[in-house]
Amino acid sequence: MSTRTPTPTPRLAWITTALALLTGLAAPALASPDEKVIRIPMSTAGPGDLDPVQGSTTYESRVCSTFYETLLEYEYLVRPFKLRPLVLEEMPTVEQDGKLWKFKLRDDVYFHDADCFPGGKGRKMVAADVIYSWKRMADPEYTYENWWLVDKLILGFNEYKDAQGALVDEGKAFDYDAPVEGMRIINDREFEIELTEANQQFAWKLAMFQFSIVPREAVEKYGAKFTRRPVGTGPFLVKSEKDWVVGSGLVVYRNPNYREAFYPTEHMPEDVEAGLTEAAGQQIPFVDRIEFGFYPEAQPMWLEFKGNTLDYTTIPQFALEETISRRTKKLKREWRSRNIHMDKVPLLDFIFRSFNMDDERVGGYTEDRKALRRAFNLAMDWDEMNEALYHGMALAYDGPIPPGLDGHPNNEDHRVANSTRGADYDKAREELRKAGYEIGPDGKAIDFEPIRFYTARSQESNRVVELLQRNFDVVGIKINPVYVDFPTLMDVTNRKKAPMFSFAWGSDYPDAENNLQLYYGPYESPGSNHSNYKNSEYDLMYEQLRTMAIGPERTVHIEKMRDILIEDAPFCGSLARTRVYLTHPWVKNFKPTETFFTYFKYLDVDMDHEDRGE
Amino acid sequence: MWGFIARKLIYNVPVYLGIILIVMLALRVQDPTLMKLGKNATPAQIESVSKSMGLDQPFVIQYFELLKNVVTFDFQEESWSHGGKSVGEMLKSSIPMSLAITVPTLGLSAIIGVCIALVAAYYRGRAVDRVLMIVAVLGMSISYLVYIIFGQFFGAFLPRQALGGENWPFEITGYGPLFLGEGATPMNWVSFYMLPVIIGLIVSLGYDTRFYRAVMVEESSRDYITTALAKGASKPKVIFVHMLKNAMIPIITRVMSTLPFLITGAVLMEIYFKIPGMGFQLINALTNLDFPVIQGFVAVLAAMFILTVIATDVLYALVDPRVRLS
Repeated sequence: MSTRTPTPTPRLAWITTALALLTGLAAPALASPDEKVIRIPMSTAGPGDLDPVQGSTTYESRVCSTFYETLLEYEYLVRPFKLRPLVLEEMPTVEQDGKLWKFKLRDDVYFHDADCFPGGKGRKMVAADVIYSWKRMADPEYTYENWWLVDKLILGFNEYKDAQGALVDEGKAFDYDAPVEGMRIINDREFEIELTEANQQFAWKLAMFQFSIVPREAVEKYGAKFTRRPVGTGPFLVKSEKDWVVGSGLVVYRNPNYREAFYPTEHMPEDVEAGLTEAAGQQIPFVDRIEFGFYPEAQPMWLEFKGNTLDYTTIPQFALEETISRRTKKLKREWRSRNIHMDKVPLLDFIFRSFNMDDERVGGYTEDRKALRRAFNLAMDWDEMNEALYHGMALAYDGPIPPGLDGHPNNEDHRVANSTRGADYDKAREELRKAGYEIGPDGKAIDFEPIRFYTARSQESNRVVELLQRNFDVVGIKINPVYVDFPTLMDVTNRKKAPMFSFAWGSDYPDAENNLQLYYGPYESPGSNHSNYKNSEYDLMYEQLRTMAIGPERTVHIEKMRDILIEDAPFCGSLARTRVYLTHPWVKNFKPTETFFTYFKYLDVDMDHEDRGE
Repeated sequence: MWGFIARKLIYNVPVYLGIILIVMLALRVQDPTLMKLGKNATPAQIESVSKSMGLDQPFVIQYFELLKNVVTFDFQEESWSHGGKSVGEMLKSSIPMSLAITVPTLGLSAIIGVCIALVAAYYRGRAVDRVLMIVAVLGMSISYLVYIIFGQFFGAFLPRQALGGENWPFEITGYGPLFLGEGATPMNWVSFYMLPVIIGLIVSLGYDTRFYRAVMVEESSRDYITTALAKGASKPKVIFVHMLKNAMIPIITRVMSTLPFLITGAVLMEIYFKIPGMGFQLINALTNLDFPVIQGFVAVLAAMFILTVIATDVLYALVDPRVRLS
């Protein structure tokens, strides 16, 4: 393996040296040159909150996952995704047909040292901390930001929330000591949770950062400042408020008291060749400091990565041409020669164009309406859209279930037997005829009145609409694009006023249930079922799905639900983006994913690598 | 003098009250609570957020509450997009960041711009003058964003590649002290701010030079210049001493009118260089519908603007005896 350092032209070197001498000023010095530091970019102005109960974005998840811990976490190297205990001694035991969950905490989990504890020494985490942390979701002080995660989930929790809300309304204090029927502490290490009904997805939620465990002392001592002064049990910690500069960056430091925890041994076969198994069994974390840099604009982030002062990056849209061969979809030679590594990470994405099933023209469940909606889908060229917008790196598929999840059509073309994914203009014309339209000699539907198509305003949406209009025009389908800002799009769809609209859904957890709920009748607008799709057979199947144990029977069940949706066609789709990561050769143990972010503790860097920039 | 200032302040109080009224009304056309929480917010959520911002109070009380905050410079309301940070803290932390770029840029631009303008005026109509003005117009014609992108590339990225990071003083981006920890010194200003200052200087020089040259040219046709030259004063002395002194009023006007924008900062510059100054924060607040920050920042900026106008009037009087304080 060889590494390459760009060499300057003599003239440029002369000029730059002269300028450096002219300024006569020193370049910045690093705080501690002996430390292992990893520098991570985030394409944003930064997280809004460092308090898990108030956070909701992927950026908050990334940073919170470094200093907070949840009961469960994802197996870092295993695909499809799988959970394992994090602060639990073992996986929870589930009784009463999935309603009663029993947990036992590890005995060696301590909170970070902080002045909220007596003597500044972090104490051991106990079962009451878990219950306290989850109860915070019901506290109106935190505006119920994450209440949707536990709504009607735990026995008596909704009643507790209502009762405490009433207390707060009366000017009294929220009572964290009041009991919740379904939350029972057995002793300091054991507790049990009783759900309102069996719910397999509860396990996935337990690995979400919103379920992180925080100490009551810290919340009470720091008050509103707790969101800037996190105290958790994680492998990294924040030393002071100054470690987070809004809009610029955040630094977290290795937790010196982190318990015995090791790099995972379970892995996929391909991880061996990728060098991801070499650290197996070693104590974590490996780095002393993580520097998160926030980049609201991608251009400087890209320059920093190219200049070797960021350790990895995602490729911005504008740089795809520069880095990846359009023909082979591989990294171009000049990047490979620098030993830069590329990873393609398929996102749990569901990008689709949706219909309002209550609309007079495109909605309804009669055969002609279904045919009309299928004609739309057959006239859309998803492959062209992929090439035009995503450099051919995204993935077109049938149904609402993205790749990597049970129920996704895992064949070469990602199609199902009753596929209606375009572009197939002949079939589209057939469907238009079934829908009652006459097809003219030019192959276009005669007298097709345009349908209003709502989309959120962006540079990308202009291109999408142009492409759609061109696709549809082949068979005579017409749309009137309406560009609105995202809140307005939400408003219009919530009020069921948009006949057709463009939407995208990123799965909250890797279970098809999270996508299939988008078509559950009782969740119609303003709920998450913005298509207002109602099918009693589907609804019943969805209710059964929630309580079914993971296994082949459940997969078949999911596939049936998927096929019902494709037949009724409440949406056209679908597309899942692929995030492309570039990693410098001095970064070790990095297997990128966007489904979870607890992996920073596994990352390592070779600080002595000759190309690593300061 | 103090009477003049007091009078000016009193005259401007109704103006400021009007501005605040308009700003507050504009920010309440749509319920800010709903804008934050979305249409699916529960009544309890709406009530909770409304209370935290005092939006459940009558408008008059909210109005005087904001005025009190401005007068005492005490903004306790918590930002909606950056939890745990009050608007006052955001103001206090971001103003110096913006000033670190804008003050040197303004100072250098005014000094260098005036110097170039004097040279251009001295050689009026000749090749030097024409070349300088062509360069100035070219400088003005290029987008600010192009300067920033080129500046980052040629001013930091390329030299760092060529020399290695440790041998080049300018960083591509960054608010250094965060990542430098205890190793940070005031000299790190050069690493993180000098390049933005140079870019800002190049951008503003085009505008400033053209303006100052026009002032100088106009001044050079006055009778007192002819008289001075007729009396045998040397041309350099007439231009650099007599003319410059008399051209100070438009120069001061221009510099003073720029002052409020020093606080707002150079938005694009701050975004691209990741400098969390006031412009960056305000844009961020607008994007995130951060009502408390938008309201607080706009109220402070309006106050700054009015104070600058008053300061300009006072300076006029000090520089030009024809302007009287009475």
